[in-house]
Amino acid sequence: MPRGDGLMSARAVEAVEAEAGSPGYRALITILAYALPVAFILLPLILFLIQSFFYVDHGDIVRELTLRNYERFFTGPAFLPVFLKTCALCLGVAVITVLVGYPVALLIASLAGRRKYVLMVIFVVPLMMSYIIKIYAIRAILGSNGFLNRILLFLGVIDEPLTFLIFNLQAVMLTLAVILLPFAMLPIFIALERIPRSLVDASFDLGASGLQTFRDVIWPLSAQGTIVGGTFVFVLAIGDFITPQMVGGANGFTFGRIIYSQFGFAFNWPFGAALSVILLVAVLIALGAGSLLARTRHQP
Amino acid sequence: MKPFAIKLLSAALGALLIGALPVKGEAKELRILSWEGYADPDWVKEFEEQTGADVNVVFIGTDDEIWAKIKGSEGKDFDLFAVNTAQLQRYLDLGLVEPYDLDKLPNQKETLPRFQDLSTVKGVMRDGKVYGIPYAFDSIGLIYDTDKVKTPPDSWTALWDPQYEGKVLAYDNGEHNFTVAALTMGIEDPYQLSDEQLKEAEQKLVDLKHNVLSFYTTADEALQLYQHNDVDLIFANYGQQQVKAMQDAGAHIAYINPKEGAPAWLDTWAMTTGVQDKELAEAWVNFVLQKKIGQQLSERTGFGNTVVPFPSAAEGDKLVWLESVEDPTMRADLWNEVKATP
Repeated sequence: MPRGDGLMSARAVEAVEAEAGSPGYRALITILAYALPVAFILLPLILFLIQSFFYVDHGDIVRELTLRNYERFFTGPAFLPVFLKTCALCLGVAVITVLVGYPVALLIASLAGRRKYVLMVIFVVPLMMSYIIKIYAIRAILGSNGFLNRILLFLGVIDEPLTFLIFNLQAVMLTLAVILLPFAMLPIFIALERIPRSLVDASFDLGASGLQTFRDVIWPLSAQGTIVGGTFVFVLAIGDFITPQMVGGANGFTFGRIIYSQFGFAFNWPFGAALSVILLVAVLIALGAGSLLARTRHQP
Repeated sequence: MKPFAIKLLSAALGALLIGALPVKGEAKELRILSWEGYADPDWVKEFEEQTGADVNVVFIGTDDEIWAKIKGSEGKDFDLFAVNTAQLQRYLDLGLVEPYDLDKLPNQKETLPRFQDLSTVKGVMRDGKVYGIPYAFDSIGLIYDTDKVKTPPDSWTALWDPQYEGKVLAYDNGEHNFTVAALTMGIEDPYQLSDEQLKEAEQKLVDLKHNVLSFYTTADEALQLYQHNDVDLIFANYGQQQVKAMQDAGAHIAYINPKEGAPAWLDTWAMTTGVQDKELAEAWVNFVLQKKIGQQLSERTGFGNTVVPFPSAAEGDKLVWLESVEDPTMRADLWNEVKATP
């Protein structure tokens, strides 16, 4: 939505409110409700979009509109392949978190009373921990002198430290999955929570087996939450640039790293902006596909 | 080239102190813009007692900050500033710096051999005049684990040696990596590469990835990676600071400047065209070139000084003073391609 529209609609609302003779504070709140997102979300995004059409010449940003940044994304040898690889990687992360998160959420949701909330909180607590610390911890566990290798060596399972555990793309996928798991579990848990107990009981009363109950009652009613969870994880994973740097090693290069480098080493903000716009489009497509899927799922 | 937080803190403290100092019109005054560690309070005090001058030191945090302060006032706000040889060039281009009278700097003749003839130190002279007096430096060399690497390496080629597959820590920065690749390939000027040389260096860096365990960005990160993994060689972007931090953590390591040449930064004292008292400014530069201060500078910062030998570099080591490169954006882009190549 162009910036003007947002401002106008804010003013329009204000006018309507004023005509209706509502109390002043209500008008103020309405203005704020529109102005804040416009000022802090829409405006920066638009600036970003504009920036992406500029270009850099010998370290200076040239403020002329051009499509060369986008052209470069499609023609450069590195950008598109890394972008596609990153999408595949994040899809993998989403699938893993859902496959692991769903059974755990189901188990927790099936518990009675307060126990389930306590357990759910325990699963969500890692979200309050610093993200960097978690990555450092994972590095300390998976490294060749790490915790896991030491245990395995001590137990005599292996003679030499395993080196494939870390510093490759699989390690990035695993680390992201571990870190983002709560984001998948929460929506799934909430969806499962909302299923009335009576429906499950009715299914059993009518002679359905556990599997049938799951397939025909629980799954259709929780599929929406599952898709939301998976989409959430995908969107969070695709923008990440720290995890690949920390556990990806020499070949764990992702799209987020390319964008990051445009703002750091390369000082090519317009190109970085263009790549971010492309990432944003990918995220919007993912969200759109997620909501489409969730909607069709909702009406069996 | 120092932890940013420290620089920031010292800059803030310095600014605070300057603000609090009373302005004296009468006494001789020397205004210095410097990195933290280059003009310590005990040296300043001693100099003030010797000369009866007032010395005001402002600490800066980044190269761009120096530029903003010196360029912003056309050199009028400061008499002396610390600047590296690569950065000094843009001040020279705009005529913001004043040449030295070397006769006023007797201590310059007592410096280490590599700094005595300033015409051999690239970047400090222009048109036969001296504009920068070398003061502190550090190199980008090679750290090796003395327990695992039995024969000490002497060349950058060790990084490519198949016996270190998966045991090399490399630095995540295109500019320096291309410089080192070029040095390894025997290119004379690693800072001005032709398109063809860049392409060759790019391939060289792609080959390096076979040996690389991971790329690091900070010295702390390299240490953590070293502690949890089987690492033999480290591309030591942070030189002696990194060596010291690792040794403090109990690592058995040693440091070399490879024979092809180690890129090294060199900080100098430069005098602005707005200098108020040229003799006083030269007296300061001569003063800090004492052996005692050089020794303390190295002990306190870990950097090499220009008067007393220090582990940063042995006398015969080849150091290639850092310069601006032909196209930083190009190097950054090519570095991205290197990383994206499977």
